Amino acid sequence: MFDTLDIGASGLTAQRARMDTIAGNVANIDTFQSNGPGTGPYQRRFVVLNQGTSDDPDGPGVHVQTINVDKSEGRKEYNPSHPFASPDGYVRYPNVDLSMETVNMMEASRAYDADVSMMETTKSMITSSLRILA
Amino acid sequence: MFLERLFNQTNAPELEQMVKFTEARHTLLADNIVNIDTPGYQAKDLSLGGFQEMLGERMDQRDSNTPGATDFSDVMPKATDPNGGVLFHDGQKRSLEQLMSDFSKNALMHNTVIEMLRQQYMMLDMAITEKPE
Repeated sequence: MFDTLDIGASGLTAQRARMDTIAGNVANIDTFQSNGPGTGPYQRRFVVLNQGTSDDPDGPGVHVQTINVDKSEGRKEYNPSHPFASPDGYVRYPNVDLSMETVNMMEASRAYDADVSMMETTKSMITSSLRILA
Repeated sequence: MFLERLFNQTNAPELEQMVKFTEARHTLLADNIVNIDTPGYQAKDLSLGGFQEMLGERMDQRDSNTPGATDFSDVMPKATDPNGGVLFHDGQKRSLEQLMSDFSKNALMHNTVIEMLRQQYMMLDMAITEKPE
């Protein structure tokens, strides 16, 4: 039964990592140079989750497998006066879509809430089991 | 031997097995909840109906056996893919609402069974000590 608390904790860690990634994407929504001059606009990151098993060194539950970079291209806008405009006058924006990030954020938040609620229920079950001894 | 027979003549073995079942199901449901966003995750659940059917059959056997001879420890259904939920693009069915509902029902059942088991032990204690609680 105590393993279930570990499963819940792994879920909380995974959803928090997901939320951190979303926060990074939203914060960089207007970043035109991701890593110094000539590196192009920021590309959004996304978390890939993987199921943990009981013989996994990280334990059962869920774990962050990788944080991938979304290679899709962001929107292009004609603005020759922009400091990061290409020679033909177009500016490439980061491929971060605020609506999508907001939806993902809500999803991560709900999943986090579900994990917390699951841990609360587990605690009540453990407390109830301990009452047999009393 | 005497204590074993004493315990096995009450409902305690069935209740103990129900506690084991609810705890095993609790772990599976917890795994399903934390993996709600894992692509390709195959959910697993223990069938409550299947368990109750198996337990009922074993209880019928107990009626015809000698007292204390029936073992309930192997009454446990196999983990299966649960039905229901919304089919997502990765081919998996998920429903957080259904999962949370099953999870709460399972926890309530666990707490109820624990309370019944406690009452059984209290009654035995009362009989042994000849003192009301």
